[in-house]
Amino acid sequence: MSNKTSHESDVSFIQALAELLRENDLTELQVKRDYGENDSLNVRVSRHTQTVMQASMPAQAPVAGPAPTVHGQPAASAAAASNDPATHPGAVTSPMVGTVYMAPEPGAAAFVSTGSSVKEGDTLLIIEAMKTMNHIPAPRAGTVKRILVEDGGPVEFGAPLVIIE
Amino acid sequence: MFDKILIANRGEIALRVVRACREMGVKSVAVHSTADSDAMHVRMADEAVCIGPPSSAQSYLSFPAIISACEITGAQAIHPGYGFLSENAAFVQAVQDHDLTFIGPTAEHIRVMGDKITAKDTMKALGVPCVPGSDGGVPTLDDAKRVGEEIGYPVIIKATAGGGGRGMKVAQTADDIEKAFHSARAEAKAAFGNDEVYIEKYLTTPRHIEIQVFGDGKGNAVHLGERDCSLQRRHQKVFEEAPGPCITPELRARIGKVCADAVAKINYIGAGTIEFLFENDEFYFIEMNTRLQVEHPVTEAIFGVDLVREQLRVASGLPMSFTQDDLTINGHAIEVRINAEKLPNFSPCPGTITQYHAPGGLGVRMDSALYDGYRIPPYYDSLIGKLIVHGRDRPEALARLERALGELIVDGVDTTIPLFHALLAEKAIQTGDYNIHWLEHWLEKNLA
Repeated sequence: MSNKTSHESDVSFIQALAELLRENDLTELQVKRDYGENDSLNVRVSRHTQTVMQASMPAQAPVAGPAPTVHGQPAASAAAASNDPATHPGAVTSPMVGTVYMAPEPGAAAFVSTGSSVKEGDTLLIIEAMKTMNHIPAPRAGTVKRILVEDGGPVEFGAPLVIIE
Repeated sequence: MFDKILIANRGEIALRVVRACREMGVKSVAVHSTADSDAMHVRMADEAVCIGPPSSAQSYLSFPAIISACEITGAQAIHPGYGFLSENAAFVQAVQDHDLTFIGPTAEHIRVMGDKITAKDTMKALGVPCVPGSDGGVPTLDDAKRVGEEIGYPVIIKATAGGGGRGMKVAQTADDIEKAFHSARAEAKAAFGNDEVYIEKYLTTPRHIEIQVFGDGKGNAVHLGERDCSLQRRHQKVFEEAPGPCITPELRARIGKVCADAVAKINYIGAGTIEFLFENDEFYFIEMNTRLQVEHPVTEAIFGVDLVREQLRVASGLPMSFTQDDLTINGHAIEVRINAEKLPNFSPCPGTITQYHAPGGLGVRMDSALYDGYRIPPYYDSLIGKLIVHGRDRPEALARLERALGELIVDGVDTTIPLFHALLAEKAIQTGDYNIHWLEHWLEKNLA
């Protein structure tokens, strides 16, 4: 293998590892490959999770009731199953707290679905806050890779809505 | 009673409301900005909703964010705490328009008491004592002399168009009135282009005494005595106590009844505080706060009641759990406000709390949202805790305060704790002989 192709395959190998890490919700992955004498590849891929925040919580906090549930993250289960969508570079986050509507009116077709291509400014969904319907536009053109909210569901400020790539 | 309420506040007061909810079996919803995601009130509430970015205007002060948070969580009522939206009449109206309940007074009462002039007129009409004065312009020296005789010296002459201390002259006795009147008018003319002046009684060394009132919105109201909050820095209270060191049972009964009757007459609902300047055994109305006060725990301590519980009761249509006859004073309570501020300039001091240890023991209450590792965000006010002590009498409360301050550890940021250690060594604090100017003078002498 020439140096150039070797470099390219290494990059795609690392990318594949990173993908594996995300998809399996792992925090660290280490692989060593021996191609020959003095020719080996040692890769360690890791990512930060929110455990840092948990650790800073007081151990003595007398949370008598159930742990606080966080609204607007129906993504909670999705987030656990996969990477944290809020930090995804293609994530479109909610500019307000409110209720999500995926279609312009009940029964109508959704503005977007997974795989839709959108132009910058296209409406992705509506968030209702205080009886006002706020159209949330696509910040850039691309393809809707994931939808992280449900029609009629609650959403918090800053929660990821969709991922556009 | 409500099943679930939302708390539109942060910090120790949000935690305070969560605690009352827990004891009452009412579910609580905390709201928070992105800067407060790991705040204690968020952890302690049953549910939490992120409502906006750090800026208060877009989070804790945002009508749509807070009302939407109610709608998505199914909360039936909103407790505003103090500050933020607690005295915002337009917010109360918006809450009602969305078929939610505001845990506090009506928009109308907030509006009336929020305007200095209508508040004074309303209170005067309800029989609450106000600073006596000329009730309007005083055109001639003879009028000034007549007013001076009526209200008694010393008097202060102020420009009708004035402000900021200009055009203000004090006449200590009848002999000074002529000179004071003419120079006040001349100064008013020069400063404001209008020489009209009015006259008020001049209070030299008053105390700040406030009466806690509580109404059920149906014409019943009680008073819960007074708090002495004379120890202030730039109009910010730093040390509060109840009962007031100079208030006799007779004075308390008299002013308390006037206040309770006044709020009963207007069908006031919830907690309120009527603030007075107090001098020579007379009370002079300043303003009414239509909310729970920061210093409410000292009143709770001496009466053994939970004011937040009562707020929730009356807001949900229930009667108060006590009558005036049930309310008797037991002992003495003092609160000190622990701020994340660096002495001597009291400059705000946000940062990370490396160690926090709350004092305990008999008669000690620490209301604080701190914990080890907590980061105090730089966006909000600097109050990080309130230490409240309760004793059988004032000397016991003072000794307990000193003991509890010694146990309190807040490491990682500068706080106002050293101020209280120093104050407790002062004779005036030990005897209770202080007034609204005392702390400013003491700070100038000792910290400047």
